[in-house]
Amino acid sequence: MKQKASLFLLTTICLSLTWAPSGASEVSERNIRFVDYPDFPEAHSTWGSIGFSTRYDKVFIGVTNHRDRVGLFEYDVKSHRMRLCGFIPDMANLREYQWQGKIHSQIVEGPDGSMYFTTDGGESREEYLMDHPHGYSGGFFMKWDPSSDRLTNLGTAIQYESIKDLAVDQVDGQISAVSYPQVHFVTYDPKANRLRDFGRLGSDHVPRVLFRDWWSNVYYVDWRQRLVKYERSGGRLIFARESLPSFEGTPGEHIITGITAYAVDRSSGVMYLITYGAKMLAFRPTQEGIGAVEDLGGIFDATLRPAWNYYCPNLALGGNGKLYYFIGGHGMYAEESESVVLMEFDPKKRSKRMALNFPLEVISEVTGSDVKDSAGNLYFAGRRNNPKAEQMGESGASRPFMIIFNPEKGTE
Amino acid sequence: MKIERSLLFISAGFAWLSILLQAEYTFFTPPGSFTVEVSLENSPYVRLPIYRNAITSLEVVGDYVLGGTSAIPGRSPFLFAVSLSKRRLERVLDMSPVLPGQRCIQSGFGRGPEGFLYGGTIPDKPGGSGHLFKFKVNGNEIEAFDLGTPVAGQGIFALSVDSSRGRIYGISHPSGNFFLQDLRNHTTKIFDETSPSKEILAFLHQYALKPADYLSRRLAIDQKGRVYGSQPVNKIFRFDPDAQRIDLLEDELPKVWGRRPLGRVDAWTMAPDGILYGGNAGDGQLFKLDPETGRVTNLGKPVMMPRITGLTFGADGKLYGVSGASPGYAHLFSYDPGGRGFVDLGNPRFTMTEPGLEQGIAWRGFQIGSVAASEDGRVIVLGEEESLSQLMVFPVR
Repeated sequence: MKQKASLFLLTTICLSLTWAPSGASEVSERNIRFVDYPDFPEAHSTWGSIGFSTRYDKVFIGVTNHRDRVGLFEYDVKSHRMRLCGFIPDMANLREYQWQGKIHSQIVEGPDGSMYFTTDGGESREEYLMDHPHGYSGGFFMKWDPSSDRLTNLGTAIQYESIKDLAVDQVDGQISAVSYPQVHFVTYDPKANRLRDFGRLGSDHVPRVLFRDWWSNVYYVDWRQRLVKYERSGGRLIFARESLPSFEGTPGEHIITGITAYAVDRSSGVMYLITYGAKMLAFRPTQEGIGAVEDLGGIFDATLRPAWNYYCPNLALGGNGKLYYFIGGHGMYAEESESVVLMEFDPKKRSKRMALNFPLEVISEVTGSDVKDSAGNLYFAGRRNNPKAEQMGESGASRPFMIIFNPEKGTE
Repeated sequence: MKIERSLLFISAGFAWLSILLQAEYTFFTPPGSFTVEVSLENSPYVRLPIYRNAITSLEVVGDYVLGGTSAIPGRSPFLFAVSLSKRRLERVLDMSPVLPGQRCIQSGFGRGPEGFLYGGTIPDKPGGSGHLFKFKVNGNEIEAFDLGTPVAGQGIFALSVDSSRGRIYGISHPSGNFFLQDLRNHTTKIFDETSPSKEILAFLHQYALKPADYLSRRLAIDQKGRVYGSQPVNKIFRFDPDAQRIDLLEDELPKVWGRRPLGRVDAWTMAPDGILYGGNAGDGQLFKLDPETGRVTNLGKPVMMPRITGLTFGADGKLYGVSGASPGYAHLFSYDPGGRGFVDLGNPRFTMTEPGLEQGIAWRGFQIGSVAASEDGRVIVLGEEESLSQLMVFPVR
């Protein structure tokens, strides 16, 4: 049955390959591979919940049934083996009233080699029930030690609030995070067990992504889509004067959602950002103050939709210096037929092209920012539409899987 | 094959839509509502800076919404004025040069003679002295005047003004003394009956409660000029302005068994018929107090959470209030004294349209610390208490 499904997927991808202009045939179905998550038949989705361990050469993914069961998976790059590390409620000894809906955050390697992530309530009951007996107690900071297969629960941030994303200081291990729905920026020092709440920074829709520069300053956005920097040297927030570039006519709900994905080019001193208003930006951070932002244009050029109306919660920089991202999800697609497209963006030439095209039953949405190994493989968390999963929770009927993509060579 | 795929997409689309419809993402967004951006760090516009803008005192005078803020330790508060017709912040006054060493304007405002609003401050450092002040918008400025310290070494936690008698009444912080200041002869009289005894303080200590948790957050004045507030534990006091005497009412604040230590008045407002309506912070009950009989009626809890941080009557005769606070967040509710009871209006979400945000963004009010109505009751304003607080406005039709 599994083999049949894989065969169907491969055939579908082959049939779906589209629009390969001359001189742009480098990327094909040979460059991409899907890996299923074993031992979790009710798995529904993955969110931003993917990260890479450089110390152990492993990818970690949080997979959820989008209700109350969240599995942590580990993909070993050398053995090509995906395994279930365990389920969060069991490994963290969570009580029933501490139920968690998903891992929404990135899974980030700390300076100690542990992988850090946060948990999220996931569904409507998280936000609205609060102090009701069925309510949500709040999201947790968690640490996974790959060397001992041990999960440590580092505690909650704000009562009743999910924690949507985090960043980890690569010098002292301090965690920065953002809560949902009240958009509080917090820092947590696991060594001192010190939590600092810097207060509310956002509005109606919580920006989902934090990212850090190579000095471990952390960035977020306020409701005007201005960069907000947690400057580690002073332990304070500083705010950009100007909003990030956006297309004329970008609706407010796209402005307030901020940045959806990023990729780091350390050698060039550039961080590439994608906004919820479908802009590609080049950000050049500075150790102090907020660096310059350059508008690289839209992530997709077409007339089907307004330029701001393309959804892309993923981005990675290939070993070839080109950016790759999958457009589509949450009801916003690049193509009329509602499909997810893999884009290639050359930041030097500022040119982009559609490399591959997938129907929604093959890929319906992709997450992950800059998750890659030393061999140039890029990793993403993927979902595909699946009517059989209809009863698995809110946010559509889907099944999750991991995507391995290498733009320079085959992934077999 | 194509048809099958189309059907699959359509059915998936319907499933998605039905899930969206089932979700609880509906908010209180009446036509004509809007949010004014009052706070923005590193702003090119006139705005309040971060951590100095929690809107803890609020009043509407003509076209202006006048606010007083509270700051985090080490920083000072502001007064500000928002034009309702222009939907923008027009004037701000940094209080640090006017009243150095002060941190909070959390007393609420009282209306005094000559168009002035009166307020009080809490000092930044323990042992410091709060000040009374008066202010009004004069041309392009907010003018504020220091009226001195009513209780030495104490801040001003709550305040109310009886303009006809020319008196300011207040509760000091942290002791909880009741005081009156005569605006005509500038004398102050302090009453210590409202201050918790040593025994009461020891009792409150068992519950790890601080003065800001148990002192009366607001004072009310009835049609005969009598002043009402709460004092620990769960009691309501009344000050008779003629006899200059404080008595405890026989009826207490509504309580939940075992939670009396949490009881204190969070908000007051008076109905056109003279009945006082109050909110109990401890458990979030709405109650009414008949000044003629002294009877307290527990009207119940609008939502499951504690606190009722603001109450006011709208032009439609309904009472509007905010219930719920951190670590949860605010629900706006209405109460119809005519018999239909509570309606939980939900979390308010009003559009903010500002320079640089011309398309508008939806703004949700999570922590709302102050509520006021325009003089005709046709506009109600909500002041946030956040690190970056905004003003939310909705019309009453």
